[in-house]
Formats: sequence, C-alpha cells, structure tokens
Amino acid sequence: MTAMPEPIHLAKLRLIPRLDIKGPRLIKGINLEGLRVIGDPREYAREYYEQGADELVYVDVVASLYGRNSLHDIVRTATRDIFVPITVTGGLRTTDDVRDMLLAGADKVGINTAAIKRPELIREVALRFGSQCMVLSIEARRSAAMRWEALTDNGRELTGVDVVAWAIRGVELGAGEILLTSVDQEGTRGGFDTELIAAVTAAVPVPVIASGGMGTTAHMVDAFTHGADAVAMADMLHYQRLTLPHIRAAARDAGLDVRSDAVITV
Amino acid sequence: MELCNKHRKSNGEYDIIVPCSGGKDGSFVAHQLKYNYGMNPLTVTWAPLVATELGRRNLDSFIQSGFDHVLGTPNGVVTRQLTRLATQHLGDPFQPFIYGQTNFPLQMAVRHNVQIIMYGENGEVEYGGDMTNAMKPSREIKDHDKHYFSGLPPEFWTEHGVTARDLRPFTAPGYEVLMANRTEVHFLGYYKYWDPQENFYYCRQHTGFQPNSERSEGTYSKYASLDDRIDGFHYYLGFVKFGIGRATSDAAHEIRDGKITRDEGVGLVRRYDGEFPQKHYLEFLDYCGITDAEFQAVVDSWRSDHLWQKTGNGWELKSTVWHDGDAGANTLG
Repeated sequence: MTAMPEPIHLAKLRLIPRLDIKGPRLIKGINLEGLRVIGDPREYAREYYEQGADELVYVDVVASLYGRNSLHDIVRTATRDIFVPITVTGGLRTTDDVRDMLLAGADKVGINTAAIKRPELIREVALRFGSQCMVLSIEARRSAAMRWEALTDNGRELTGVDVVAWAIRGVELGAGEILLTSVDQEGTRGGFDTELIAAVTAAVPVPVIASGGMGTTAHMVDAFTHGADAVAMADMLHYQRLTLPHIRAAARDAGLDVRSDAVITV
Repeated sequence: MELCNKHRKSNGEYDIIVPCSGGKDGSFVAHQLKYNYGMNPLTVTWAPLVATELGRRNLDSFIQSGFDHVLGTPNGVVTRQLTRLATQHLGDPFQPFIYGQTNFPLQMAVRHNVQIIMYGENGEVEYGGDMTNAMKPSREIKDHDKHYFSGLPPEFWTEHGVTARDLRPFTAPGYEVLMANRTEVHFLGYYKYWDPQENFYYCRQHTGFQPNSERSEGTYSKYASLDDRIDGFHYYLGFVKFGIGRATSDAAHEIRDGKITRDEGVGLVRRYDGEFPQKHYLEFLDYCGITDAEFQAVVDSWRSDHLWQKTGNGWELKSTVWHDGDAGANTLG
C-alpha cells in the first residue's frame, strides 16, 4: 500500500440519510435489487431531520426503469417542515424536469441515466440553474481491479462507461457534486468501496457523496479518510440500527470535522 | 410444522430432500427446514445445461453456509443432443433440464430412503401454467408426464434415436418404486408465507446469495433464474408461442405480490418483454449444433396467426398489454 495524501476538505463533512422511493413508499434494496417497503418517506425524513441530518437525498430508484418520475409530491410535502438541503434524483430527463423539481422544493438534482444517454444535459442544467444544484449520480459496479463501470436504470443496464473517466467528464460539463453509489456494496452493510471513493475523489475537484455499504461507524470513518466529502446512509437508519446523533458522535470521536450543533430540538 | 414432525428422523439419516440450485427460493426452503424446523435435509441440484459463473458461486456459497449437497450432472453429449432435439421438436431447449430438475430429486429420495421432497412453490402455478394443482400442498407423481413434460416424458426421445441408457439420468424411478418408498412431493409455499423478494433478503443474509450484476435479458430482475446461460431461449420461445415473455411473468408475479402496481408492471413489460437473448446466442447455437437460420425457422414455426402479424421490420404482436385499456398507454406517455 502506498501512503495516501490526507484528503483536503474545505467544508464540514456531511451525514446524509438516503431515501430510496418507489411510488409513495420508502423502500430498501440490496445491490439495488429488491423493493422491500420500509414505510412512509415523510415520517422517516422528518425523523432524520430532527436527528440532525445535514442534508437529505431522495432517490426515485425506479423512475428511469419505469419511464416516469413521481417525487414531486413527496418533495413538496417534505420541504414544508424540513429545512436542510434536499437532493432529488431519479428519472429527470430534461431541464424542464429539473425546473419542476426545483420548484417543488429540491435544492439540488441528481442525474444518472439521462446524462449517460446525453451528457450535454449536464451542461444545460448547469448553465440554466448553476453547478451548485447539478449533482452527477453514478451507479458504479466494480468490473476489474481498480476499474468500475457505470450502470443505469437502478443498477440494471451496463453502459461500458468507465466511472472515473465519466466523473471527470461530468465535472468538465458542469456537475458541481457527485453522488457515488457502489452497487456492489449497496444494502450489504459490508463497508464502502473505499478504493472507488479514493479513485473518484482523487480525479475530480468537486465534493463526492459516498453511498452504499455503511454498516458501522468505522465504515463511515473509512469513507471520509478515503476522500469522501459526505456519506449517504440508509440501511443503518431505516432499520434503526443506529441514530444520527450516535453516528455524529462517532465521527467527532474519530476527529472528523462534522457539524456539532446538528441536533434539532422540536 | 406437523408435516416435519411426521417425517423427522433421529437416526442420522436424511429426512427430507430439498431441490436447490443455490438460488434464493430453494436456499430459503433448505435454510428454514434445517435451521428453523430442525430437519436434516439433503439438498440436491440438477446441473444447468450451461452453468453461469454466478450461479455456481451462489451454489458454492449455499453449500458453505451449512448444507449437505448432491449435484447431478448428465452426460454432456447426450444433454446437448436432447437440447437440440427439444429445440427442434418442442421449441423449448429447456426440456432436458426440466426432466432432470423434476426427476433427479425423486431418484435421490429413493436412493436415500427419504419420503418427502420439499419445493418452494409449484412453478406451474407460480409462473403461470397448469392450475390443476393450484390449491394442493403436494403434487401427484403420476401427473408428472402431463404437467411437467407436456405429455412427453424422457422415454419419448427413444423415437429420435436416443438410447434408454443415455436417458437413464433424466428418467424418474418406476412408479411402483416411488409408491413403495411412499415418496411425497410438497411445496413450502402452501405452509408458510411465500414471498420470493423476501427470500432474496433472507438468502443475502444467510446463504451468501448474490444477485446478478445486471438484469437478465428479457426482463428487469437481477435475482431470479441466474444459473443457466441457455434459459433466455426458453423464455424467448415462450414469448413467441404465447405472446408473453419473462418480463410479463415476473411483473405479473410482483403485481400479485403487491410489490409493484399494474401500471409499473405494464411499463416493464413494454420495455423488456420478448427482448432477444443476444448475449449467449452464438454459444447457444454452438451448444445445440444448429445454425442461426435453423433456429430462426424453429422460432417462426411457433408463431401463431392469432398472436403475430408481419410488419415491415419483422413480427409484431397483434395485441399488447399496454394497448389493453388505458393503464399502460398513459404510464410512459
């Protein structure tokens, strides 16, 4: 192992609950397969906000697969009483789709399938709404040692696109952040794909949200030390294995620079 | 479960046979029976025609998670010959596999003096087929030829030059032998809540099961029917014969289970149903020893006029689920 340079983080490290949605329900898969219903996303989102989440990520996991997107109502309702940044991804195909989602209350949008099909969409969204809200969502599958391929349609379609090259290109086109999901690790509680995180964060200057595999707070520390600017978590929180204050305390104990005034008292 | 108490042995012998490829459903059955009901199962697998790496890895993980296991593998030359014959005469390359899948557990039951075989679900009922036995927890062994082999048991192929010796591993034990052994075939789905998706979550945790890294051709799922490179052609020919393919079968199943809505299912069918299994096509032709033209002739011979019409670009279904009523037409707009 070669020693890695310490990652440089200019902003606070973020803890981001990830809510995968199908229709009106919060669901949770494994390796982006399975649609087990967890419950009402409004209740979970509210709970995570009150526990001090830094942001929320909503993913309509089946939007591209089913050729629709249906998160507007959920986002509109959520933003009435949730006051942290919300990223919405899934099924957004045009700048008008993005506009509608921003009007519904999203602060940022994530795009995967449509951007792979037509990379110019990234530039169009960035030009019209700004890079700060253009999150490139990447579903990465390990294809060889230190190589990953981007998938689309909720981890179902191979694209032949190399993840690191795609991340670089996405940022050149105007993406201001990357939501990086490891399909191999997603839902497994087996830890993040830290090599993937290191490879992508070393290649691009924008913040990277690492998603997929968190099963312990040590995994989170690993993700941050390998360069992640934020970690997304779902299984741990949905199944109430740990709470956000506990996770945040563990991050602080590990010397990570997370927000310390996060718990909201209602 | 009373049925388990009736068959449970305390002399160290196996007391139940569980047919299991290492997939999510058989693995769930075996794991429940052994670790929840205290049975002593012998798990058995009939080898895929052409195994996938993932299927084999899942089977190994399953065995490593704590099971005795027997793999039945027939003569490759004979199996290829039967696959070619079944493709040409029945329009279904899977028939030889289905013989072994159905009959090998019976052979193992007799061999090991086991009186009960436990499947997950009656495939004919689960995936759409003969509903005769839909409400029964067990299956009549004398019905096998009709229900599982479309009236053509393995012995039929002697008419096409396959010897009785070659067919041996594909055949069932004699009826009298099965009766003397008091062999019963049961389906866990009749005794316990059966939910293939939950089986996936269960086996991911308990038996090391891994879903595929991409969807299977002809459908959207990543966790079902992963073991055989040939099975895409079974589903594709089913699509040609009946106008409904694997995505329809999968979607209908998930709609019945309440996992997806009808609209969602229609969207998936529209997108994936009947997709040609291109990935393993050349390998399949090579395996069967037939040419592309021969296979296409087989395919076209199974197209019924009431289902298909010829268009400029080939064949088109006369009616589809997304034109049936307004549910599908509006979904993808």
